[in-house]
Amino acid sequence: MRLRPVLPALVRVRGRSMLPTYREGDVLLVLRGARPRPGRAHVVHLPPDRWGRPRPLSVKRLTGTDPDDPHRWWVDSDNPAEGVTSFDVGTLAEEDIAGVVAGLVWRSLG
Amino acid sequence: MLSLFRITDVSAHCDLPCGVYDPAQARIEAESVKMICQKVADNDDPDFRVRATIIKEQRSELVKHHLWVLWTDYFKPPHFEKYPQLHTLFNEATKLAGASGTKGEFDEATADELLAKIEEISTIFWETKQG
Repeated sequence: MRLRPVLPALVRVRGRSMLPTYREGDVLLVLRGARPRPGRAHVVHLPPDRWGRPRPLSVKRLTGTDPDDPHRWWVDSDNPAEGVTSFDVGTLAEEDIAGVVAGLVWRSLG
Repeated sequence: MLSLFRITDVSAHCDLPCGVYDPAQARIEAESVKMICQKVADNDDPDFRVRATIIKEQRSELVKHHLWVLWTDYFKPPHFEKYPQLHTLFNEATKLAGASGTKGEFDEATADELLAKIEEISTIFWETKQG
């Protein structure tokens, strides 16, 4: 297996698509460069929209591999009512997985 | 770049941040309305007519919903400046889908008028996508 450096990073959640797991304002510890782990939340690069405009860096759950391509990853939102999933944007290549969410670092008391 | 020393925002947004809009949603519901009018014209079964009335009511409401989403969420002030007829078009189209239009009657011609208005909005919509 290829060795790669794993670097910690901090991100802040914006939006409601990962409810109930993560909510607006949560600060998460992310391990950059870590091997994707199906079942866990990840920070991902989504493909541009149909007019070529970039989508923002996003937090999504990797539910597993693409049924048609074992090298690509299926992403989903935790909130079934909201958010973009692989049904909308297709599956992601491994280089689009920026890091794995290791856990919640801080949450607003409000 | 992701870093431990600076907190990067990551999107978990409810609305698609790319903003996916398409007048086809309104058109498809309006086509359902038109088809219901056709089917009722050929069918005297009272139960069928009741179901058709209910479904036509719902589909007409969906036409209004999809048009209003385009009107309020997609189109922006510069669009209304460039296409001064847009407000009137949306007003007339949603009226055609309302109680004085496809909700209140089984008239295929009204459904056709509604589809024509949606087509006019659609033409403007796709013109705004060119720029």
